[in-house]
Amino acid sequence: MKKLLALLMALCLCLSCMAFAAAEDGVTLDVIICEYGNNTRNWFLGTGMNGSNFVDLFQAANPDIKLNLEVVSWSDVHKEVSTRISNGNAPDILNIDTFSEFVADNLLLPVKDYCPDDLFEDFFPAFIQESIIDGTVWAVPDLASARALYYNKAIFDEVGIEVPATWGELKDACQAIKDFYAGDVYGIGLDLTEDEGQATFAYFAWGNNGGFTDENGAWALNSDKNVEAMEFVMDLINSGYANPSPSTQTRYELQDLFGAGKLAMVIAPNQLPQYLAEKGFTVDFVTADIPHNEGATGSSVGVMDRVMAFKDDAAPDQAARNDAIGRFLKFFYDPQNYVGWVSMETFLPAVNSAVGALVESDPSFQAWLNVLANCRFYPAANAQWADVRNGVVVDVEQRALTGEEVRPLLDTLQTKITGK
Amino acid sequence: MNPMQANLRALAAALLCAVLSVVIVSLPVYHFEANVYTKRSGNTFVGDERYQAARQEVDALAADYSARGIETETTEEVIERTNSKGEKTSLVVFRVNKEIRCSGWDFLRTGFPSGKVLIGMLALEAAALLLAALGCLGSGNTLWRDVKGASRALRNGAIALSVAALAAAVVFILYTNVIINRQISLYATGIAPSPGEKVLSAADALIYQGAGGQDTAQLLKSTVSSVIPLWWLQIPALLGLTVCLIAVRDGHVAHGLQRGLMYLAVIVMCVVILYPFVIMFISAFRTDADATDVNFQYMVPVTWMWENLSYILGRGVLKYLLNSLILSAGATCLALLCGIPAAYAMARMRFKGRKLFMGFVIMSQMFSPVVLLVGISRLMINLRLNDTLLGLVFVNAAFNQAFAIWLLRGTFVSISPEMEQAACIDGCNSVTALIRVLLPMAAPGIVTTLIFVFINSWNEYTISTVLINSDSNRPITVGLTQFAAFSMIQWNYLFASSLLATIPVVILFMFIEKHLVSGLTSGGVKG
Amino acid sequence: MNQILVRHKWEPYLWLLPSVLLMGVFVVYPVCIVFKLSFSEISRSGVVGSLNGLDNYITAVTAPEFGSVMLNTLIWVVSVVGISTLLGFVAALLLNAEFFGRKVARSIMVFPWAATLVVQASVWKYIINYEYGALNNTLLNLGVISQSVNWRATYVIDFIWECGIGIFVTIPFVTFCVLAGLQSIDVSYYEAATVDGADFWKKLKHLTLPLVRPSLTVSTVLNIIYVFNSFPIIYTITRGAPAHKTDTLVTYLYMLAFSEQRKGPATALSVVGFLILCVCAGIYMMVTMRKEGEEA
Repeated sequence: MKKLLALLMALCLCLSCMAFAAAEDGVTLDVIICEYGNNTRNWFLGTGMNGSNFVDLFQAANPDIKLNLEVVSWSDVHKEVSTRISNGNAPDILNIDTFSEFVADNLLLPVKDYCPDDLFEDFFPAFIQESIIDGTVWAVPDLASARALYYNKAIFDEVGIEVPATWGELKDACQAIKDFYAGDVYGIGLDLTEDEGQATFAYFAWGNNGGFTDENGAWALNSDKNVEAMEFVMDLINSGYANPSPSTQTRYELQDLFGAGKLAMVIAPNQLPQYLAEKGFTVDFVTADIPHNEGATGSSVGVMDRVMAFKDDAAPDQAARNDAIGRFLKFFYDPQNYVGWVSMETFLPAVNSAVGALVESDPSFQAWLNVLANCRFYPAANAQWADVRNGVVVDVEQRALTGEEVRPLLDTLQTKITGK
Repeated sequence: MNPMQANLRALAAALLCAVLSVVIVSLPVYHFEANVYTKRSGNTFVGDERYQAARQEVDALAADYSARGIETETTEEVIERTNSKGEKTSLVVFRVNKEIRCSGWDFLRTGFPSGKVLIGMLALEAAALLLAALGCLGSGNTLWRDVKGASRALRNGAIALSVAALAAAVVFILYTNVIINRQISLYATGIAPSPGEKVLSAADALIYQGAGGQDTAQLLKSTVSSVIPLWWLQIPALLGLTVCLIAVRDGHVAHGLQRGLMYLAVIVMCVVILYPFVIMFISAFRTDADATDVNFQYMVPVTWMWENLSYILGRGVLKYLLNSLILSAGATCLALLCGIPAAYAMARMRFKGRKLFMGFVIMSQMFSPVVLLVGISRLMINLRLNDTLLGLVFVNAAFNQAFAIWLLRGTFVSISPEMEQAACIDGCNSVTALIRVLLPMAAPGIVTTLIFVFINSWNEYTISTVLINSDSNRPITVGLTQFAAFSMIQWNYLFASSLLATIPVVILFMFIEKHLVSGLTSGGVKG
Repeated sequence: MNQILVRHKWEPYLWLLPSVLLMGVFVVYPVCIVFKLSFSEISRSGVVGSLNGLDNYITAVTAPEFGSVMLNTLIWVVSVVGISTLLGFVAALLLNAEFFGRKVARSIMVFPWAATLVVQASVWKYIINYEYGALNNTLLNLGVISQSVNWRATYVIDFIWECGIGIFVTIPFVTFCVLAGLQSIDVSYYEAATVDGADFWKKLKHLTLPLVRPSLTVSTVLNIIYVFNSFPIIYTITRGAPAHKTDTLVTYLYMLAFSEQRKGPATALSVVGFLILCVCAGIYMMVTMRKEGEEA
C-alpha cells in the first residue's frame, strides 16, 4: 500500500510540474550567470545590491517578464549547459567564456536581433570584433580581465636582481633566486592544469610572436615560434625555476604561494591585489609586462567572457522574446547596476558608459584599461577553439611534462585539429 | 613464581629503566650545527662594494663572538655563473661556524621549558624505584601478607610508572623540537612572533652560554639545529623495554611480547585512521592564511577561528545537510520498501525466472552512476524530475536495490521458515506472515541494510552534481564543492563544513557498530 | 524445504514488481539511452545528431591514452581490492582479540567508512601537499624531518597515493565483513584445536580462513564493483593530470564527457566499462550458481 502511495505521490508531483510549466504565460527568461567570486550569488540572488538583489530589482522594473536566474560555478557551467542542450532545454541567456560551438550547431540568435542599438554602440568595438563569426556578431562581452607579471619586490631586492623583460633575463632572475634561496623560493609560477594551461601557452607563444593562429586566422599550432616557446617553458620547469607540480597547481594555488612569499613571480589577472588582500596576505609586489623573447614584441594577454542568447523556436511570440532579452541586457549594462557589479568582481568593464565611474572610484583602473587596449584574446570565435584549448593543455603541455618532445606533440595536435 | 621473586624482578626492571633514563638525560641530545650565522649576498663579486660590506658584517660578528668567549670559524662560498647575456653573476655566502652539543642536563640547567619533562621523567623513575623497593621489602614480611594483593599492586604500580617515564623521554624530544625547530627559528627569521622572553633567554643560555644577550634573535638567525639521529634509536629501544616490562609483570616473555606487539599494532592503526580526521578538525578552525602557511609555523591554530563555523552556516551548509538527510532517508525508505518484498520472494518462493531476476539484480549492481550520467539526466528531464530531491531519491534507491535485495535475502534465508509456515496454516496470508513473523526476527539484517543504503546515498556525489542545479536543492556532497573548486580551494571552510557533514554519520555509526557486526553475522554477507 | 505456500502462480511476480519497476525505470532505461547515444553523433555543445555506427567506439579506443588508462584501471582495482582485503583481514583478526579498549578501537575503525569520499579525498590532498600540507607540518614540527618533503614528486607517486587512499577508505568495509564472519565461528573449535596443539598459524590456515571465506568472497566481489566505479578520489586529487596518466576508466570518461566535452566517445567508453563489469559479473554468477547447484 505504501509503495503504491509513494508512486501515486510521485505521479502527482510530475503532473503538477508539467501543469506548472504549461500554465506559464508572458515571457520567461532562463538566465545562467557564472559565479565569478564569493559575492556573485549574493549580488544576483541575495542581498548584495544595497540590501536588494538583481533579480528583485529587475522584476520590479519589468513585471511582465519572468526572470529565472541561476548562478552556476565555473566548474559546473559547461557540464550543465551541455546537458541542457542535449535534452533540448537550453537557457535563454547564457554567460560563459566560449560561444563558437553554439554557433556551429546553429543554436544562437544574432546579437542584432535583440540588442538595442544604443547599447550595441556602447561596447568596446575591439571586444565586439572577438565575437564575430562569418560577419555576424553572436555574443556581447560582459567583462574582461588583463594579465600581467607580478613580482615580489622584497625578494628581488634581497637577491639584488632587476625585473626581467626578456626570456633570457627571466631565466637569469630565476637562477639567481634559486641560488640565493637554495630552492626554498620558486622563481616563476606556471599553471599547466586543465584550468588555465592554455593561458601559459598564450603568454609564451605570443611573447615569441607565435600563437594559436597565423595572420590569416588559420591554426598554426606547430609553428617554429610555438615550439621554441614551449621548449622554453619546459626548460624553466626542468631547470627547477618553476613551481614543482605545474600539472596540478592551479593559478589560485600559485597566487597563494605568491602571497606567502614562496613564489617570486606570477602571471596573474588584475584582480590579484584584491585577492591577496581578502586572504590576509601582506606581500610587497609590483606589476610589470609579461616577459617576451629577445627580438619579439611583448603583448599583454586578455581574457573576456560573453553573454549570448539562444534560439527558442517553440516560443510563441519571437518578437516579444527578443524584446525581453533586449530589456534584460539594457538592465544588466545600465551603469547603475553594471558599475557596481564590475567593481565588486574587480574585473574590467566592456562598455564605455561604465569607464568614467569606475576610474573615478579607483584610479588604478585607468592603467589596466590601457593594458586592455593592447591585449590579445584567445581565438574563441573559431569553432575548434575548445578542442585546441584542451589539446594544448593535455596533449602538449602535460605530455611534455612527462618527458615527451615538444615538436612532435605540437605536430600531432596540428594534424588532429586541421586534419592534415 | 613466588611473590618475592616477582617483586625482585620488578625492582630489577625499574632499576634498569632508571639507569636508562639517566643515560638518556646525559647523552648529547641536540646538535646546533655549523652555521651560527649565514650571510648571503646576491649579485656580489669578490672584492666589490657589496662584498666588502658583507665581509665586514660577518667579521664584526665573529669578533663579537670571540669577545664573548665563543670561538667561531668563518667560511666563504662563491657561486659564479654566466647569464644569458654573457655577463658574469656571482653569489657570495658567508658562514660563521660553531658547533654545540647539548645534553639533557644542559636543558635542565638552563631552565629550558622542555626540561620540565625531564624532571617529571626522573621523578617518575624515583617513584617507580620506591614502589618496587617497598614491594620487595613487603613480600618477605608476614604482616603484609594480610593486606591482600598489596605487594602485587606495588609491583604493577612500579612497572606502570616506569613505562610512563620511558614515554616521557619521547615527549621530551618532540616538545624540544617544537620549541627549537619551529617557534625559535621561525621567530629568528622574522616569520613568527616571539615565543616569549623566558624561552629566548633559556635558548641563549643553552646555545650561546649566555653570551647572546639582546642579540639572541639575531644570532639565532640561520642557526641550524637538529636532533642527533642516534636519538631516534631510543624509540624502538624504549618500546622493546616496555614489552619486557609487561613480560616481567605477567611472567611469560613470549606472551608479554605478543600482547605488546598487539597493542602497538592497534595504536598504530588508530593513529593512522584518526590522523586525517584530526587534521580536518584542526584545519577547520585556521585562518585563511594559516591554512596555507608555507612556513609551517604552528601544528595547531594560534587563534581558533570558531567563526569559520558561522561563516559556512551563512553559506547555506545547514540547508545542504538537511537536503542530504531528506535525500538519504527517502532513498533508504524507498529502497527497503521495494527491496523487502523482492528479497522475501527470492528467499521464500519458488518461481520461474528466479535465477533470471537474480542475474538482473547483480547486473544492475555493475553500473556506476558515473557511467550512466548522460542517460540519467535525460531520463530526469523527461520525467520532469531534474533539479529535484525526489529525482535523487529515486535514483539512489534504484542503484541500491541490488545491494539491499542481496543483503536482505541472505538474512531471510538464514532464518528458519517454520514460524511463517505455521502462521500460514493458522490462516495468515504471506503479507501478514512477512510483517508479523519474519521482519521482527530479521531486524539486525534490516538495520545493516538500512545503514548501507543510507551511507551510500549520503556519499553520492556524481549524479547530484549533474542533476541538481539550483542552490537550494544541493546535497552536502555537492554543497562542499563551493569551497573546493579544483582551481581555488578554501581549505578552512571546506574542512569546517566537512566536519559538520561527518560528525552526525560517525556518531550514528558508532552507536550501531555492534548491530552492524551482528547484522552482517546473521547471514547478511554470507550470500 | 525453505519455501512457504504460494496461493497463486503470479504471486511471486507481484512481490518483485516494485523492485523491478524501480530498477527498470531508473537503471535500465538510462542504460538504453546510453547504448543509443553511444552510436550517435553528439556535437560539442551537446546536440545529439544522427547515428554514426561504431565511430564513437573507434575514436575512444584508438585514443593514444586509452591503453594507459586501461592499465591504470587494472592496477587500481587489483591493488586497492587486494591490499585492502589483506589489511582488512589482519585488522579484523586484531579487533576480534580481547584487549583493553577494543570497543574504542572498533569505533575508530568505522571513521573512514562513515565520512564521505569527497571529504576524505580533500583531506588527503591537503595532507600530502608539498608547500603547506599537514604531513610536512606535523613532521617538521615534531622534528622528524628538517626540510619539507615533496610527497607528490611525480605522477607515479601521485597514483600510488591515490591507490593508498583508496585502500584506506576500503579497509573498514572488509574488516567489518570479516569480523562478522569471525564472530559466527564457534569458540569451541579453537579450544579443540588448542588442545590438539595447533599453533596460531595452523589455526589461521585450517580453521579461520575456511570459515570466513564466504564473507571474504562477498566483500571482495562488492569491492571490485565499488572500486572499479570509484570516482571522487582520483577526481579530487589529480583529475587524471598529467595527460590522463593517473586516470582510471571512470574518471577518464567523466573528464571526456564533461571537461573535454566529447560526449560521443565518453558514452562509448561507458558501454565498454559496462561490458567489462558484465564479464566479471558473468564469471561471478557462474561460480555462485555452481555453488548453489552443489548445495541443492
